[in-house]
Amino acid sequence: MIENLLTYIIFTPLLGALVVLFLPQSKTSSFKWVALGALGVTLVLSVLAVTSFDASVEGLTNSEDQLQMVDKAEWFSVELGSLGKFSVDYFVGVDGLNLSLLLLAAIVLFIGAISSFGIKQKQKGYFGLYLLLSTSVLGCFVALDFFLFYLFFEFMLLPMYFLIGIWGGPKREYAAIKFFLYTLVGSILILIVMIGLYNSVYDPVKTGMEAGVIENVLEASPDMISSIQYAVQAGQMESENIVKSFNMISMADDANYLPDSFLGKNSYGEIFGQSARWMAFLALLIGFAIKLPAFPFHTWLPDAHVEAPTAVSVVLAGILLKIGGYGIIRTAFSFFPDSAFHYSWLIGFFGLFSILYGAMNALAQKDLKRLIAYSSVSHMGFVLLGLAAMTVEGVTGAIYQMFSHGLISSMLFLLVGVLYDRTHDRGIENYGGLASKMPKFTILITIAFFASLGLPGFSGFIAELMVFIGAFKSSTVIGAIPYWMPVVATLGLVLGAGYYLWTLQRMFFGKFWVKDKAWREVLVDLNAREYVMLVPLVILIIWFGIYPATLLDLINNSVEGFTQLLILSVE
Amino acid sequence: MMLLQSNMALGLKEQIQGISADIAWLAPEITLVITAVLLLIYDLIFKENKSVGLAAIAFVGMAFSLALLIAGWGNVEGDRMLMGGMLRLDGAAIYLRALFSIGGMIGLVMMLRCKQKEKFFKSSETLLLFFGLVLGTFLMTMSINFLMVYVAIELVSICSYVLTGLFKSKRNSEAAMKYLLFGAVASAVMIYGMSWLYGFTGTLDFTSTAFAEGISQVAILPLSLALIMTIGGFVFKLGAFPFHIWSPDVYEASPTPIVAIFSSLPKLAALAILFRFVANLDITIIDWQIWLGIIAIASMTVGNFSALWQKDVKRMLAYSSIAHAGFLLVGVLAFSESGSTSALFYGSIYLLMNFGAFFLVQLFENNEGKTSFDVFKGMGSKVPYLGVLLLIVMISLTGLPPMAGFNAKLYIFSSLWESWQTVDSSILIWVLIFGLLNTVVSLFFYLKIPYYMFFKTREEVENPVIGSLTDKILGTILVAPLLLLFFKSDWLLNVLNSINFAL
Repeated sequence: MIENLLTYIIFTPLLGALVVLFLPQSKTSSFKWVALGALGVTLVLSVLAVTSFDASVEGLTNSEDQLQMVDKAEWFSVELGSLGKFSVDYFVGVDGLNLSLLLLAAIVLFIGAISSFGIKQKQKGYFGLYLLLSTSVLGCFVALDFFLFYLFFEFMLLPMYFLIGIWGGPKREYAAIKFFLYTLVGSILILIVMIGLYNSVYDPVKTGMEAGVIENVLEASPDMISSIQYAVQAGQMESENIVKSFNMISMADDANYLPDSFLGKNSYGEIFGQSARWMAFLALLIGFAIKLPAFPFHTWLPDAHVEAPTAVSVVLAGILLKIGGYGIIRTAFSFFPDSAFHYSWLIGFFGLFSILYGAMNALAQKDLKRLIAYSSVSHMGFVLLGLAAMTVEGVTGAIYQMFSHGLISSMLFLLVGVLYDRTHDRGIENYGGLASKMPKFTILITIAFFASLGLPGFSGFIAELMVFIGAFKSSTVIGAIPYWMPVVATLGLVLGAGYYLWTLQRMFFGKFWVKDKAWREVLVDLNAREYVMLVPLVILIIWFGIYPATLLDLINNSVEGFTQLLILSVE
Repeated sequence: MMLLQSNMALGLKEQIQGISADIAWLAPEITLVITAVLLLIYDLIFKENKSVGLAAIAFVGMAFSLALLIAGWGNVEGDRMLMGGMLRLDGAAIYLRALFSIGGMIGLVMMLRCKQKEKFFKSSETLLLFFGLVLGTFLMTMSINFLMVYVAIELVSICSYVLTGLFKSKRNSEAAMKYLLFGAVASAVMIYGMSWLYGFTGTLDFTSTAFAEGISQVAILPLSLALIMTIGGFVFKLGAFPFHIWSPDVYEASPTPIVAIFSSLPKLAALAILFRFVANLDITIIDWQIWLGIIAIASMTVGNFSALWQKDVKRMLAYSSIAHAGFLLVGVLAFSESGSTSALFYGSIYLLMNFGAFFLVQLFENNEGKTSFDVFKGMGSKVPYLGVLLLIVMISLTGLPPMAGFNAKLYIFSSLWESWQTVDSSILIWVLIFGLLNTVVSLFFYLKIPYYMFFKTREEVENPVIGSLTDKILGTILVAPLLLLFFKSDWLLNVLNSINFAL
């Protein structure tokens, strides 16, 4: 086990970006190898992190003890007049909620780097930005200080904007700015809540140190912390000793909210006549739902996907969308479980609507990449439905769905990229009977389609199955969402089978036909580099479809802790 | 008058003794005056090649006043009344004046790097006006007496009118005339309002208890009118809605170094006056928070939305400065210790971003002689380093991490949140929501420059003359603090915490 492992994982790509920056422009061919090397190291370290993760650790999501591989150091701490002291930490760590997503990010980024070998122009800029994007994505999954999280969350937009806007398709400029503006609206909502939260939450350990009760962090035993918390809650702590905090783990514990604070559990604070906690929850939910994306905030996604270069689409669908889901779990649900319960019906409904609406839109698409983009909207709906269920199975299913969809959608976008590289056309009606000309390609895309529509034996099946089990159980266990929601959601599976099978039939089966005669020459089967990208994904998709325990064992205890937190708040 | 009355009792001798004792505290201002005189003398003695000497004197003078301010940093305990109660010297005044000296030095550097350099340094007159402007802003930060406020604001304004028309082209003159007319009306209205307030209270010192007591005796309608007129004058200098209409024309026509000064120093100085003024207005008598709240929301919204349609970078930055004036007002609105600290933080960062933006824009302007967005077309690949610097400045102006503009926004809205929690006035939450959502609008136009630089390509192959090593170094010096103060914003905040902004 390496010290500071997570820090190395986050900053290795950044180091790579600096290397790319300082290499002379003339060494064009070296940039991609630097990127691949840096992300390779990241992948190895991430696998190391997963193998050294102790799955037996239990605990509620709001306790720091259940975190592993924690790196924590004070970043800065200041006093802002009457606002009091507050401190920002460099604080990273993993538990079962983010471990799988960290692994997913490392895998997808590495494969995306291989796929980027096809980029021919302005390679220095491309790989530099790609590595910057990698750092912020990885950082976002492990950051546990809200300020740090927000830094990574926002910083991601810039490289993405340039990657879409410079290396994208014909309408890239429009798509890039649309992506940026939409996500920024979400970020602003999150920022408002962040301001409210850090004004309401204090750090018991630092407050204790400020008050002179304890000397250093090591002395902060659980008993000590709870006595400090008691003192603060009882109003016995001098207000100048209270240190406000951005700590996302502390924010999930009611005892860490200042007694008179606006967002505390017993607060009667109101915004526009509604409970402040409800409003804050909604703001976080919408902020991350834009990223997810859920209906009706999804309209940026098809444009961004269609215009983005293949590798960027892969990263976008494979990882960036998951940050939305992860954000809802780590912030909205953890901080405001009572509000989550209050709005679970709404969340479930939007999940359901996204599933159906995304699927129906996918049916109507003429562009293969757009079809897959809408299918992402549909599949992300399952994440919301699973979370809304608030049961162990539902939440597990949501996390599993994110992991599985990350692999499957990466593969789908890579496969679309294969076709687009050859003909520069993605129109479904422009192809027919590709199976006879490109048999291996057809086999792989069939696998990907089947995995995506949730056929048993592939990872997507496990994920959706668990979401359904969780959603059905919900009404009896906790009563978060009604019975009819999962029933209606099954329609989404039927529609999913519909658009995938129909696409297979239109594009791949039957007599070989393409719109442009010149394409007959260029449509050759997969090459070695494409195999290198695709085969590992196929193996992983099947592996996690057959041995779900590989992942489930890792995340189970943390999910238990998370749902426990939800249930406690309802009681 | 109050001043004369109170001093009459002292007798002339004591008055003169008091003034001469206070002179030492005004050493930075006196340095500016002496520098201006030296510039004038130098101009008279030497006939040829005056530019090097003039620039050197100006620069040394400005640096010397900065040095004096830094040296005097620890000497002020509490606040000190100067010149018979005309000026109040406190930590905030020292800090802001130091900031203005730095701004003045950057302004001088920008003049030196301007293509029309010789117009600034041909003779001493431009520099004289420039020093007059800086002196005026210095005095504004300390004024607590209506007369002094008026004199200081007029000193700044008159210098500004002439500096706008400096290059004597048709557009310059038009802008200067517009500015003059607007300014004259604004200051006439302001002094009219002040005269009412003097009539109500019998004192010109708006920080005195007599003033606060006097105000509480007045009926609400006349008081509101008087305050609106007075505050209107401050808002004019701040360049906030609804007294912002002059700024786009003035910014577009004036030479870039002058615009950089206009859009930062007088704004922050006006903010200081506003802070001191509202501090003595009891919110239970007159709810000024709602007025300033509306002004802030309107400035942010009007500034940002108008900036969207601009085709000229300087015009766009003018509207952006209107929007930023709205953000600065948020600090006044929060009306707390944290509000003033975060407003000073925002102001400092704004000053840096603003000079950074205008400095870099000037480099491109030098190249092509205009400031439409076309000058940036495809430059990202020709001068990537300057492109990245400009990108950083624009992102910081938008207020996104990892730039200090983000911290500035975070702190100022945090103090607003805090104040909303305590007073629960609904205007504050509206300002919070509007302010932050305005960030989204502003992103659209701030990204226009990077968009032209990196997304557009230009056909003609030419060697860009911009991007000399000196420019790169100067640009880096201006931009580096924006990154640094994101990661270590406590450095600046600790400095700001050590000063007391007497509220």
